[in-house]
Amino acid sequence: MRSLFAFIKKEFTEQFRSGRLIILGLLFVLFGIMNPAIAKLTPWLLETMADSLAESGMIITDVKVSALDSWVQFFKNMPMGLIAFVLLESSIFTKEYTSGTLVLSLTKGLERYKVVVSKALVLTVLWSLGYWLCFGITYGYTAYFWDNSIAQNLVLSVVCWWLFGMMVVALMVLFSTVAKSNTGVLLGTSGVVLASYLVGLLPKCSKYLPTFLTDGNSLIYGLVETKTYMPSLVIAVATGVICFAISIPIFNKKQL
Amino acid sequence: MDMLRITDLHKRFGDKEVLHGLNLTVPEHSIYGFIGKNGAGKTTAMKTVLGLLKADSGEIFVGGEKVVYGQTSANQYIGYLPDVPEFYPFMTAPEYLRFCGEITGMKKAERDARLKELLELVGLGDEKHRIKGFSRGMKQRLGIAQALLNSPKLLICDEPTSALDPVGRKEILDILLTVRQQTTVLFSTHILSDVERICTDVAFLNNGVVETQGKLSDIKTKYRSEEYLLETGNDADIRKLIQAFPEMKQIGANQLIFCESVRSAFDLLRFVSEQHIVLLKFERMEPTLESLFMEVTQK
Ligand SMILES: Nc1ncnc2c1ncn2[C@@H]1O[C@H](COP(=O)(O)OP(=O)(O)OP(=O)(O)O)[C@@H](O)[C@H]1O
Ligand SMILES: [Mg+2]
Repeated sequence: MRSLFAFIKKEFTEQFRSGRLIILGLLFVLFGIMNPAIAKLTPWLLETMADSLAESGMIITDVKVSALDSWVQFFKNMPMGLIAFVLLESSIFTKEYTSGTLVLSLTKGLERYKVVVSKALVLTVLWSLGYWLCFGITYGYTAYFWDNSIAQNLVLSVVCWWLFGMMVVALMVLFSTVAKSNTGVLLGTSGVVLASYLVGLLPKCSKYLPTFLTDGNSLIYGLVETKTYMPSLVIAVATGVICFAISIPIFNKKQL
Repeated sequence: MDMLRITDLHKRFGDKEVLHGLNLTVPEHSIYGFIGKNGAGKTTAMKTVLGLLKADSGEIFVGGEKVVYGQTSANQYIGYLPDVPEFYPFMTAPEYLRFCGEITGMKKAERDARLKELLELVGLGDEKHRIKGFSRGMKQRLGIAQALLNSPKLLICDEPTSALDPVGRKEILDILLTVRQQTTVLFSTHILSDVERICTDVAFLNNGVVETQGKLSDIKTKYRSEEYLLETGNDADIRKLIQAFPEMKQIGANQLIFCESVRSAFDLLRFVSEQHIVLLKFERMEPTLESLFMEVTQK
């Protein structure tokens, strides 16, 4: 147990001292502020552009924004947050392979599964902290400017998105134990997400795929029933758990 | 008891067979020199012992425990210093050792005392900077410290002295000598003077097998040549000797090498006493490790 804590502590120290913790924090705070800010500024932006738009034949009538616009921004910006997170953390395992730093810990008798558990835990904590921080800020400003209660199923929609992120974290862990370099991790993770997205374009399959969870807009506008999200939710959680579970035996046999 | 036993170890990379049937036995409390030229497979053999490489066939036992590839519990007895040790660059030396102590489950008080003692021992006691800025020699020293931290029964060092200056090299060798009471040391090298200085046992690795292994003194006796060195005071004697024994080789102004192949050394000595030749020196040649190494690797 003590060795597990020691390794987790090392991981957090590394995140902190390498500056990644701060970059991620700033990024998610920025997104959190941007979402309501963009919604708030939309009418003003459109007004300043009204003349040029009128010339091209578009007539701007009085634009009303509400809490929903702020949440639409949230779901629109979150993919960028997730991509930044994956890019920043994709080398969390592979950096140790290429530098050879893991060899010394492992030859001291540190069980290999503890490495996987520690790093997966750090990724989970960082993603969750960043995500919920962003959510909290957006929620606060949105409540201040408008009224959050007009967004339907808000809790479910943001939990779904968070779970999608968690599945991506599990994919990162899995591909980190398979691949040798972080290119492999990025290709594997993005490949699976892209595949899910492409297959999801077929109307028949779409609601069974994890990427379906990222469609928060339909939920907050109340366009679909909440139970439509059940299959993709179950599949995303199962994928995450399976990825994590098989990454441990794979790592146990990995050549370092 | 044998601390490490390797039997019939095979390992190939692609179509290149690096080890074919390596056998090695390291007795407890020995300082074992593992000698072989570049690319002989020393690092490969050591990594296999640590479970970092998968052997194609063969068995390895460390302190009676069988080594398996991947997650292996035999590692808890081993301290390992890789050829190029790499540490977390964002830590300082004491932080890194504390981390090592924590992952091996050492008690706090014991860990802190040992940490201080080891940092003094390797000469990093006053080093406050992060490992990021360490030189290769400093990393090598820290590497020794981390390998010794949890008082391993077997210390495996992969060319521990190759990055060091002469002073640093002597210090590391001295450290290896002092830890001998508590542990068994296996170290690979191609610096033969290091071996000569501290090793009790040696093994020569060549063409993927151990050609010769055993106590350094035994090996020297076994390979003791049939050669004698002979030195006299004047040139006339030298000429006389060469005339009588044409098989002798002259290696210096007054020095000759006599080989016992055709005639025995007694024939030579009889001739010397009959001719009243004054000898300054007459000695049996000790084989040097270098000549042994040459002999073993050129077979
Ligand atoms: N991962 C690998 N893939 C392919 N070949 C390898 C690998 N590791 C080692 N080899 C080959 O195995 C041979 C033995 O290498 P090894 O590193 O064990 O030699 P060594 O005795 O430690 O040499 P040195 O004295 O230079 O450290 C080399 O010819 C090398 O090319
Ligand atoms: Mg080597």
